[in-house]
Amino acid sequence: MKRAPYSHAPETSGKTHWRSLGELHGSEAFAGAAAREFPEGASDAVSGFGRRRFISLMGASLALGGLVGCRRPEETIVPYTRAPEEVIPGRPLYFATALPMLGTSVGLIVESHEGRPTKIEGNPRHPESLGATSAFLQASVLDLYDPDRSDSPQQGSEKRTWDEAAALLRKIGEDAKSKKGKGLVILTEAHRSPTLAGLLGDLRAALPEARVVRYEPLGRDEALEGSRVASGRALETVIDVARARVIISLDADLLVAEGSPLKQARGFAAGRDIEGLGAAGMSRLYAVESAFSITGAAADHRLRLASRLVPRLAFALARELSKLGIELGDLAAAVAATPALDARAERMVKAMAADLAARRGEGLVVAGRGQPAAVHAVVQAINHALGNAGKTVRYVAAFDDSASASGPAKVVELAAAMRSGEVDTLVILGGNPAYDAPADGHFADALGKVKQSIHLATHVDDTSARATWHLNRAHSLESWGDVRSEDGTASIVQPLIAPIFGGRTDCEVVEMLLGRGRKAYELVRATWQTGARALDFDKGFRRALHDGLWADSALPAEDVSPRFADIAKATRALPAPAEGIEVTFNSDPHVLDGRFANNGWLQELPCPMHKLTWGNAAAISPAMAREHGLSDGDVVKLAASGAEIHVPVLIAPGQAEGSIALTLGHGRTHVGRVGKGVGVDVNPLRASTAFNIVTGVVLTKTGEHTQLARTQEHFAMEGRNLAREGTAEEFTKEPGFAKEAPEHPPLLSLWKERSYEGQAWGLNIDLNTCIGCNACVTACQAENNIPIVGAEGVEGTREMHWLRIDRYFTGEEADEPASIAQPTMCSHCENAPCEQVCPVGATTHSPEGLNDMAYNRCIGTRYCANNCPFKVRRFNFLDYTSGITEIGKMQINPDVTVRSRGVMEKCTFCVQRINHAKIDAKKDGQGHVKDGAIVTACQQACPTQAIRFGDLNDVGSKVAKRLQSPRMYRLLEELNIKPRVSYLARIKNPNPALEGA
Amino acid sequence: MSTLSYPHDDPAVRPELLPGKRDFRGITRQVSGIVEAKTPTGWKLAIAFTLSVLMILFGSLFRLVTKGTGVWGLNTTVGWAWDITGFVFWVGIGHAGTLISAILFLFRQKWRTSINRAAEAMTIFAVMSAAIYPVFHVGRVWFAYWLFPVPNQMQVWPNFKSPLFWDVCAVSTYATVSLLFWFVGLVPDLATLRDRADTKTKQIVYGILALGWRGSHRHWLNYEKAYQIFAGLSTPLVLSVHTIVSFDFAVSVVPGWHTTIFPPYFVAGAVFSGFAMVVTLMVMARRFLGLGNLITIHHLENMNKIILATGSIVGYAYGIEFFTAWYSGNPYEKFVFLNRAFGPYSWAYWTMVSCNVIFPQLFWFKKVRTSVPLMFVISILVNIGMWFERFVIVVTSLHRDYLPSSWTYFKPSLFDISTFIGTFGLFFTMLLLFVRYLPMVAIGEVKSILPAADPHAAHDHTEARHES
Repeated sequence: MKRAPYSHAPETSGKTHWRSLGELHGSEAFAGAAAREFPEGASDAVSGFGRRRFISLMGASLALGGLVGCRRPEETIVPYTRAPEEVIPGRPLYFATALPMLGTSVGLIVESHEGRPTKIEGNPRHPESLGATSAFLQASVLDLYDPDRSDSPQQGSEKRTWDEAAALLRKIGEDAKSKKGKGLVILTEAHRSPTLAGLLGDLRAALPEARVVRYEPLGRDEALEGSRVASGRALETVIDVARARVIISLDADLLVAEGSPLKQARGFAAGRDIEGLGAAGMSRLYAVESAFSITGAAADHRLRLASRLVPRLAFALARELSKLGIELGDLAAAVAATPALDARAERMVKAMAADLAARRGEGLVVAGRGQPAAVHAVVQAINHALGNAGKTVRYVAAFDDSASASGPAKVVELAAAMRSGEVDTLVILGGNPAYDAPADGHFADALGKVKQSIHLATHVDDTSARATWHLNRAHSLESWGDVRSEDGTASIVQPLIAPIFGGRTDCEVVEMLLGRGRKAYELVRATWQTGARALDFDKGFRRALHDGLWADSALPAEDVSPRFADIAKATRALPAPAEGIEVTFNSDPHVLDGRFANNGWLQELPCPMHKLTWGNAAAISPAMAREHGLSDGDVVKLAASGAEIHVPVLIAPGQAEGSIALTLGHGRTHVGRVGKGVGVDVNPLRASTAFNIVTGVVLTKTGEHTQLARTQEHFAMEGRNLAREGTAEEFTKEPGFAKEAPEHPPLLSLWKERSYEGQAWGLNIDLNTCIGCNACVTACQAENNIPIVGAEGVEGTREMHWLRIDRYFTGEEADEPASIAQPTMCSHCENAPCEQVCPVGATTHSPEGLNDMAYNRCIGTRYCANNCPFKVRRFNFLDYTSGITEIGKMQINPDVTVRSRGVMEKCTFCVQRINHAKIDAKKDGQGHVKDGAIVTACQQACPTQAIRFGDLNDVGSKVAKRLQSPRMYRLLEELNIKPRVSYLARIKNPNPALEGA
Repeated sequence: MSTLSYPHDDPAVRPELLPGKRDFRGITRQVSGIVEAKTPTGWKLAIAFTLSVLMILFGSLFRLVTKGTGVWGLNTTVGWAWDITGFVFWVGIGHAGTLISAILFLFRQKWRTSINRAAEAMTIFAVMSAAIYPVFHVGRVWFAYWLFPVPNQMQVWPNFKSPLFWDVCAVSTYATVSLLFWFVGLVPDLATLRDRADTKTKQIVYGILALGWRGSHRHWLNYEKAYQIFAGLSTPLVLSVHTIVSFDFAVSVVPGWHTTIFPPYFVAGAVFSGFAMVVTLMVMARRFLGLGNLITIHHLENMNKIILATGSIVGYAYGIEFFTAWYSGNPYEKFVFLNRAFGPYSWAYWTMVSCNVIFPQLFWFKKVRTSVPLMFVISILVNIGMWFERFVIVVTSLHRDYLPSSWTYFKPSLFDISTFIGTFGLFFTMLLLFVRYLPMVAIGEVKSILPAADPHAAHDHTEARHES
């Protein structure tokens, strides 16, 4: 055996279950070893891990840490001499944790196979998740196993040990004491970790002159500033979409990108339940936005408006409301003179105002992250005046309000200080400011001027490459921590696996700066072992770990009364919108702000509206394209305030005139092998003074052209009734309107048709609640080991997603399109055309109605895919899976076959989950699997619960009930294929007052 | 039309099949001479070239097998393109051979004797070229044998419902019968070559292949019977192979494929392309092998007439497809045909229409159908057109089917093109080897149509000059 033995764990590692990890940290044997992290020679592993190397490192650190339950070697088949508690090979375990992101967090349940976290699900107990996840959350498990992560601290390009790094940090802390911390700056991401906040508080106490700056490229600084204007306090706005009947979104993509989107999407879905609520009770969503967003696509009325004009519209809304007798105090006078918008917008504003005024206490106005503070303040005033506050909207104390400087302007200030030599030592905890700090700060250059700069990050990224020291950071799935979500609910972040690359957390680094040596686990416990929780703490802590949250930790709602005079002042202070072309900076559906740039699943995830993968593009309106003679993929130069970028354009239906939407996070220079060379960095245009919207942009055609890798190229339904929708009025008149299928001859089969006696699996998708957010697509990818094919593969239309979301643009006016999303996967047709044509019988029907694929029988004629009317079959044209690194293989779901080249694959209805449930049912002596025991990956991730799966023969099952809905229809029924996937038609609730608009 | 230039144009008078004074020995010498002569430089150059092209095929297939089907331009929406286009193209070409040998034989069309051997050889080589595709286009080539009903311990059989399985049976039957038919026809001529052999090697090789043929009456009797039986067996195959090939499409649900007109349309198209290829090759044979006296302008004209007839059938099929699409009221069907004619692949569609419908109509003019250069050009155009016909059927139907979200555009990769070019390398290499080593005109059969062979015709035996 060449491997380091792992069975020689010292006695101290008597606990064999991962939950005892923290307790083990307390052991002396560990304390000594942990300081070194890896045994001799282990921490200087040069670039890249060989398999044996990796295994031996794992074995070695296991032996040291006694973490028998976490990372066990995989290759040798040796039975456990002492089986870890609860671990049964082949049966996954599930643990609750939370994933901090963008200053908030979502509670998760993570699936772990023999110590490897493989799949992330939402925690149904957690108010931000409600059991659902987003595409980003789904994909973050892939980041854990990113082979490009750094495996040790580095000084310049020299590898260092954590011992050395710790010594350095302690020395910095020690040296700073003499100057009371002057010259020491800590730059953090937006965070809501009570432990980190406490430690930074300790730091401030110990070193009063040290500064802490907070920066988040997609932060909510304007919203907080708005509430400061409106109420004198920084407050978080927590919205309850479920209770709202009139929702007005002002440039806010509230279903996927603002605030707490999973909860909001669930709330939105609740308000769309036409069958439960009736046409009168159904909510109505108005979206005013520049770029076509998911929220805009879900809206009943959408107004295309350049983002810079949205403040004017918000003020006009206030004006109209005040005309309708809504009390807005001094604000009424300030907005009375708001210049008129065009007729279309004015008509919409009047309708919105009337709707809001008619349903006081049931309205909700939301302003987007990118809108100026004055708009947020006005929105707060409107919500208050309409009596919505306390009902559909709630305000809670902002986290860590006392914390110092936050926001883009402060980073620019910091950069200036760095340049002038005021900063001796800069400690950057996470983030990537050298890449994403405002352009006017020239942060990357300034970083070079700082004598000592230390960056804690998972990768040697753009910032680490310029810092004097890089410290490798632990992923959230391998670290202890804590976090509050938007409404204050606190969760413990607990590790699923010991740090694969030996990384540390933010808290541990600050702890080292403070000259102390507690581990993250102790720090977290210490934070929560206070007050009432200190009593019987271990029990409470275990409960918090088990549930994934501290019970009753949500913050109380604050009583707010808007200060109309200040708000009025703020509206007057807002400069008039500039003429010309504007550019808006948006979060990227693939890489968010760049943090997921090395994540293949997300890079290849088609953006929800335009189905672009692998990179970003400037979304321009069709009219602008015509004016400048541009077509998709033409590269343009965008110049503003002395900076310019070259970026390909994408002609985006529904994009506002005079507005160009850019997404952040691409074009990073120091990124792993996945993100290398993907997309365009748009940050050069983004200054702190024009952080969200930059106006006066000059667009010039360069004559260059690049190929955009899109998974869908045709967005019109061509008169085919595919994604069906109607209005609430139509539905009331004719509930079965969606059943209308094209005329067809009698549907007879050549073969004797089967009957399904036992269970008959079926799936239903409610288009009324589906928003097309992509969570299901990534969930499917993670569950089913679906490979990525790269930009070239997507350009060649060879993407492998088993589940795709078709996007169609509809509407009579080409420039004012509406849009509908339709998830499409294998329909498991009862008369499956694919099955009849396969020459080798590799795809056959199961007695329960599944269309099964026998991968090892498939020879790859592709006849089945040709004959599939839904085109959901995916062929392994090339070898997409053997290139997975050893470490990447740890993510693979062991329940699902990894497919080789040359075979066909497609949605299996998560047959592995079906079989697990069937085995369990059999064990429990039940003949049938109970409804709800099988949840497909897509269904589980769906924020709006649009997907239902179950037994069609069980009349009581949720899916069978859905089939009773008058909105139910099946695609391409006229082909007599009898699909097992059915849809419910979407119902829109337009305002009769806006008919014809 | 001037009757002066065509003195034998009176339909009431059957023209002589082989004009001029010809005797048995002369024919034997002429045909065997091609095989026995010193290897001409032209042939060496030609085979060097075709072997190079064949190497392209091997290289492309090597790349295909080692790297995966993805080296071709296929995608999720268009799962078949140049591969199945190439397959149907070659199988179609193969049709002329069997039609000439079997159907024309049963109809006693004696003019076939000059061209049947070469046409049959062409059939076999075309089927070989075609077979490349079904074998190599699959994702896991090493398991392609699973397409055959190979008995195995797991009792796993092919899916008998699948048209692709029918196709495997039809094509392999066709290939087997064609090969046997061709070989049976060759036996007497191989014996001739054996008897004329000037080296030991030739004697042994031709001797083995001649199966002990001695030319006895019993032999001839058996031979004629066997030939007749094979003709009978082959005749339905001519119709069945392309019918079943068309089932690959017609049995599917893809709009543009799912059409009842396909079987006759495909058979007509196959005969059309096959004859065009025979004309191309025969024109070359006349030019380079000096067979103008055996393969006369009359033969060529007859073939051009068949091209004209089948071309018109094909043209009619194109038209009726549009009518059916409109008349069916099926929106998908309607869209497919409009998309063919006016969509992104309209260039391919109109190439097909002009090559297959417009140019062959020039054969209404006797001047055109008896002009060697013109028929050479038109025959090549027909084959280009027929390749496009299959491309149009395969690709334009697939690239935009039911759900517009999956619509895409297929672009061939370098390896699509090189593989297809490579199959020409295989075809022409085999053909060159054939003309060099085997009698490319059926000696025995041509003799049978000479006046000397007609017991009722006035002739003397000196004229016949029987050899051996």
